[in-house]
Amino acid sequence: MTTVNIITQGRRKRRPFGSQGVGTAAPYIIPALLLYGWFLLYPMLDSIRLSFYQWSGFRTETPTWVGLDNYKRLFTEDAVFPTALLNSVIWVVLSLILPTVIALLMALGLNQKIIGRNVMRAIFYIPAVFASITVAAMWRWIYNPTLGFVNQLLEAVGLESWTQSWLGDPKFALASIFVANIWQAVGFSMVLFLAGLQTVPEELMEAAKLDGANAWQRFRAVTVPALRPTTVVVIILTIINSLKVFDLVVGMTGGGPAQSTQVLALWSYTQSFTNHQFGMGGAVATVLLIVTLAIVIPYMAWSLKGEDK
Amino acid sequence: MRFKKILSTAAIGAVSVGVLAGCSGGGGGADDENTLVLWSVTQETTQRAAMDAIIADFEEANPGTKIELEERSVDEMKTAMRQTAGTDAGPDIYRYWQGAGLGGELVAADVSLDLTEYYDEYGWEDRFTPTAMASITQYGGYHGVPFIQATEALYYNKTLFEEAGITDLPTTYDELVAAADKLVAAGITPIEFGGTVNWHVMRLLDSIIETKCGAETADALNTGDGDWSAEPCVTEAFTELKKWGDDYINEGFMGISNDDSSQLFFSGQAAMALEGTWLNSQVVDNGMDPAEVGIFPFPTGTGRLYGFGEGLYVSKSTDKADLAAKFLDFFTSDESQSGAQGAWSPISANKNVTPSDTDTLAHYWVDMLADSTGLYVNNDQNFSTATTGEYWRIQNLVLTGDLDPADAGAEFQKFRDANK
Amino acid sequence: MTAIASSPQLATHTRKRPVDWTGIALWIALAVTALLWFLPLFLMFMTSVKSKADLNTSAMWALPGTWEWGNYADALDVGNFWVTAGNSLLIAAIKVPLGLAIAAACAFALARIRFRGARSLMLLIAIGSMVPIQIGLGPLFNTMLNLDLLDSKFGLILPYLAFGIPYQIFVLYGFFRGIPHELEESARIDGSGTFRIFWQIILPLAKPALAALFVLDFVATWNEYAMATTLLRSQSNWTIPLAVQGFSTQHGTDYGPLNAFIFMSAIPVLIVYLLFQRYFVQGALAGAVKG
Repeated sequence: MTTVNIITQGRRKRRPFGSQGVGTAAPYIIPALLLYGWFLLYPMLDSIRLSFYQWSGFRTETPTWVGLDNYKRLFTEDAVFPTALLNSVIWVVLSLILPTVIALLMALGLNQKIIGRNVMRAIFYIPAVFASITVAAMWRWIYNPTLGFVNQLLEAVGLESWTQSWLGDPKFALASIFVANIWQAVGFSMVLFLAGLQTVPEELMEAAKLDGANAWQRFRAVTVPALRPTTVVVIILTIINSLKVFDLVVGMTGGGPAQSTQVLALWSYTQSFTNHQFGMGGAVATVLLIVTLAIVIPYMAWSLKGEDK
Repeated sequence: MRFKKILSTAAIGAVSVGVLAGCSGGGGGADDENTLVLWSVTQETTQRAAMDAIIADFEEANPGTKIELEERSVDEMKTAMRQTAGTDAGPDIYRYWQGAGLGGELVAADVSLDLTEYYDEYGWEDRFTPTAMASITQYGGYHGVPFIQATEALYYNKTLFEEAGITDLPTTYDELVAAADKLVAAGITPIEFGGTVNWHVMRLLDSIIETKCGAETADALNTGDGDWSAEPCVTEAFTELKKWGDDYINEGFMGISNDDSSQLFFSGQAAMALEGTWLNSQVVDNGMDPAEVGIFPFPTGTGRLYGFGEGLYVSKSTDKADLAAKFLDFFTSDESQSGAQGAWSPISANKNVTPSDTDTLAHYWVDMLADSTGLYVNNDQNFSTATTGEYWRIQNLVLTGDLDPADAGAEFQKFRDANK
Repeated sequence: MTAIASSPQLATHTRKRPVDWTGIALWIALAVTALLWFLPLFLMFMTSVKSKADLNTSAMWALPGTWEWGNYADALDVGNFWVTAGNSLLIAAIKVPLGLAIAAACAFALARIRFRGARSLMLLIAIGSMVPIQIGLGPLFNTMLNLDLLDSKFGLILPYLAFGIPYQIFVLYGFFRGIPHELEESARIDGSGTFRIFWQIILPLAKPALAALFVLDFVATWNEYAMATTLLRSQSNWTIPLAVQGFSTQHGTDYGPLNAFIFMSAIPVLIVYLLFQRYFVQGALAGAVKG
């Protein structure tokens, strides 16, 4: 019943009259298409186009064609690009594991009628309501080497040797930012999982209990299959959002120290707007686009196939 | 039915168009005929008050005019200026650093208005010192009006130096390192830096390069075609930088900003700060007793002083150039600058403005300038933005121990060669 | 709970329900996690009411020596709060309803009106909803520049709409397709035109999904940073996220007022969320999962 269903259109024998044809549809789709085409599609495609040029971005300069030169430089000379690419991939993988599992556990826990359930649900979700740039500012303060909470706490419990420059040491910086990301990201996934848990068929649950299945077995046999559509959505949204990470890095480290926390989205922006190399920025953006499509499209295809049993 | 559908589509369309057309808000440059938008770096109390005072005086003397001052942090300022280059969204007047990599970049991008006619009209050339004028004419024509002649040196805390038993101020680099060692032995942090704003620690690196390479080679490396991979002094400089990072700079400096680290100097927890003339008023604003503070030049051994200039530029895209020039004339007049009592810099760019009497630290700068044989400029003003970014990346990699100082020069030269 | 256990008439000691140790342990785990999650918010609030001296001397979690409510006044002033909040509110108030309307119309057409190319169009839109904004920022800047809409609040609404619509279409599409055709058919037999069907039959059924999308979109619009920082320039046009970042970079050491500003910047969204929380959960159930 609940399916991600964009391709599956059954052939209908009876066509409802009066509701067919592009003419009827036009007024409804034109505003959306206009905005979408002009302000989303066109800039995306233009980025790809720009990646074959060299341009400083200043109005006084015209772009010069350089063919695949930018890509060559990107993969052979750009010292930051490999880090940015690696970080983006790491971010996606970690996002799929940590926040997702935590969110699922939270949802399972909050699915019972327990004391303080609504309060806890609110607490878990509220970080998602904050702007990422705000979360960055908050956590930067928490990680402050001298006055921040983490180091103060470590000192207070006598673990002073464990204090670090959380955002200033390349060893820890990315992980520190990711912790802030977990804090913010679980809320939304949790809500989706909670919604999905409502679709778990009660009868099957009862039957499993009567059969003597323990909690883990019940989870595996009844809950997991019922959660499949939700999990599909959660995973795809997590992937998309983790490839987009930008605000958090800008606010916490700006890509540093020594560009160790750079990610593709930010490096593209930096190349274009800070270094005035829109061609290189476009090349990085194109790589990001390809990575996104390479992950998303096969995943969508696979999940849809699974749906059409 | 059909009619309703057409009607509502049209309605949405009309509303959107109307909303957009009626209020497209144009550029950041003010719409009002007599309002000027002025962008500056964020200033502390004394400096901000001085600027506000001059603005207020101008508005009073010219009823109907208004100056809108917008402040941004250093990095935001650079980003904003670069992004608005060539658009209408820029300011009428902007305060900017004069070096080739910053002010010069904007001149090359056709952002700055050539002010030759106004120099003739107002006779500004007679108002400023030759050094100041040199920065204005370096790009051909006249770009900007001199505002600050900033020089940088080592501020130190006299009490802490006494505590550590440092009796004579260091005059050579080795003496400086020895002094740092004494401070460490006394349990005092020798010097403070904030690593997150890259350009802060960069000052140390620039100064060490000047020291180890000498004036001629340093110039070739920074402003010419020098080969960073071929000069042994480069490796020496990066090795020294690593030593400072490991032994002498405040702990955890890589993770804090210069605002955070400066607090260490102001509160007496760090003995030295590599800062510039602007700090004269800032030490007072932040509660230090000026009698506690002394200044000596970084002992490079080349006789040159570290410094740069800041100017007030007029945007080419402005339609109020005359009004802007009038304001700049007022702002840089001897009266206004004297009135500011050296808030921005004890040494004025104006020939006839003498250092303020109330600034007890001003005499240090006067003496240092008098003794110096020239200036070497901060590298983020010499290099293009992309090169600066790479310079900082390598600087930070050396500091975190992820790049061997012996490889730093070659790594940097690789970038320079690729981006000629 | 099986029926066998409770037989109070038996003379033997009553069988008490066994203490659910697992349940208690799980609850404790949840509660501890909730406390952990709440901690940053608590710390933010604590910092916002402390004076500079307090911050330098006492621990972050300690109660303030003096309650420095003046930090809030400072934050309002220095951060230009009312202007930026007004900007954010204006943009959100226009963009969110407008975007939903446009998305609903498009989703309706794609889901309920049969025409050639509908499927491909849906795919195109679906893909567009998945790509990060940053890919197109450079050319977007140029497009807005050429339209002379840079540094304009109203100009910013256009790309905001463009980026918000695909996801909404995606969600509403799934929702609309699930509506039984009998409803529509009977309406047609009664003589309703397409618009009437859209407006009076299909749309009202989507209320939960629309409410959920409303909340999500309001929050997303209020919190958007990347496009705002690229397309807006003068500080009088700043939205709240830009103001937070500006405050953080310019007055980064004024921790008290900074945290006060952060707190205040989130209040409007918190209010919207808390008000519409109920619908949001329902809508997530009905719409997002189905989508």
